[in-house]
Amino acid sequence: MAFDQPELLQGLSIEDAQRVTALGRRIRVPSGGELFSLGSSADSLFVVERGRIALTLPMQVHQHAEDVLIEERSPGQAFGWSALIPPHRFTLKATAPLDSEVLALPRTALLAYFAAHPEVGYIVTQNVAEVMGRRLQVFQAMWLREMQRVIELRTLPARENP
Amino acid sequence: MEMFLSVAVISLVGVAVAAVLFKAAVHETPPTAPLGDESLLNLPQRFFVDDRSLRTRPVVPIEMLRLQIERHVRLEQAAAEAFRDFPTAEALQTLTTSPLVH
Repeated sequence: MAFDQPELLQGLSIEDAQRVTALGRRIRVPSGGELFSLGSSADSLFVVERGRIALTLPMQVHQHAEDVLIEERSPGQAFGWSALIPPHRFTLKATAPLDSEVLALPRTALLAYFAAHPEVGYIVTQNVAEVMGRRLQVFQAMWLREMQRVIELRTLPARENP
Repeated sequence: MEMFLSVAVISLVGVAVAAVLFKAAVHETPPTAPLGDESLLNLPQRFFVDDRSLRTRPVVPIEMLRLQIERHVRLEQAAAEAFRDFPTAEALQTLTTSPLVH
């Protein structure tokens, strides 16, 4: 791999990390290409190996639906945890802003491997929980900052015209 | 008799000309341009500034707006990550240079 250890596999021995990696297949996403769409079936968890992956959501801009960047994933980072969480539908759209490559880890293969090797499953699940927790905390803070602005905008006329 | 008739005709012509001139002078005022937002009429007029006039915002091209949104998201994400690393009430309120919040 072009990076040290992906966040999903941190804490695993090199051999275990190689075995988990061997469960997946590499997918090349050309610049501007789409990896998955919003609402599509989520069967694989992904790790960026090369390039970048943009995760977007549609937003109404000038009466047009425009894909707006929510976050970007770079080499070593994981995305697509909807594959592990029912109802297994992607809640974002993933595209490549430049020529990229990802490792796709199928849910069925991962779960079967974890069942056979619970110690590996425990470490990987911990890593997934850590990634999800970090993102939840960041999005909580982003949400509160936006709410703060909404409230400031709402109370602005009242302050101007007491 | 002829004298009387000529005076009467001249008088009628004079009245007609005066009526036409009056009509031309007092033409209807053009209808005022419709306001884009009727709710603006309900805004109170301030002493020095009448802000009931239509506030027009410059239309930003979609591509530029999208770039601004992306920049905003990146800056907000960085600010939120800084809060996550050192969570304080002040860190939550830090301002960014995003053009969407200024």
